[in-house]
Amino acid sequence: MDKRQISHDILNILERLRIMHDLIRDQNYEDIPKEELMNDMNESLALLKTRFDSLAQ
Amino acid sequence: MDKIICLGKNYSDHIAEMKEAAPEMPVLFLKPASVFKEIKNQGTISLPWERGLIHHECEVVFKLYKKNIIGLGLGLDLTLRDLQKELKTKGHPWEISKVFKNSAICTPIQGVRDFLNWQETPFILKVNGEIRQESKLSNALLKPNDIIHYVDKFFPICDGDLIFTGTPAGVGPLKPNDVIEMKFGPIETTFQLVSENG
Repeated sequence: MDKRQISHDILNILERLRIMHDLIRDQNYEDIPKEELMNDMNESLALLKTRFDSLAQ
Repeated sequence: MDKIICLGKNYSDHIAEMKEAAPEMPVLFLKPASVFKEIKNQGTISLPWERGLIHHECEVVFKLYKKNIIGLGLGLDLTLRDLQKELKTKGHPWEISKVFKNSAICTPIQGVRDFLNWQETPFILKVNGEIRQESKLSNALLKPNDIIHYVDKFFPICDGDLIFTGTPAGVGPLKPNDVIEMKFGPIETTFQLVSENG
């Protein structure tokens, strides 16, 4: 994967984390259950780390 | 945000005022994230007035996460109307009449739970104190879930994408120094249009 694609992925993950942050902050669990959100957050954080590692290589 | 997905011809009164035939389903087009402008209360926005007549199209905006509506805003889908007419007449694509700096203006997004019955909540656009557009989402041809389902058939929906859901009747011209007021439930935003160097 080239660095431009990795960078694009990172920005998308950060955007997703920002949305999750807003949903969790507002305790807005009507459409997305809390457990699903927390699971998404863990997956996104893990993916973010792998993408940052790739970008740094 | 990856992109802004826009619906055209989603309100029958707007189709009538444009004197165009109603399509079987609303028209879809995209605006890139780079033309998006979130407008804060009392802010200013510059537009490319030298390119011709700019029309406002006031629309309810959805913010999506996992194809769910997690927030709502009120947007202005701006259109270079003369250019669009010319391109349509020639049978050409009309993206350049829709995609220019600040052509997708939106109020700050509010959580859905901040609204009481948001589909029945009136949204209003005033220009210099005069009501130009007023409607509610329940007047649209496609209902919210149908909009997402319809869009999903054609475009990959990414988390954070916005959908501009189409405009009702009352579209019209803007000019420098116009004061714009947008109201939709808890959202109330006032801002001013300025010339590009202003």
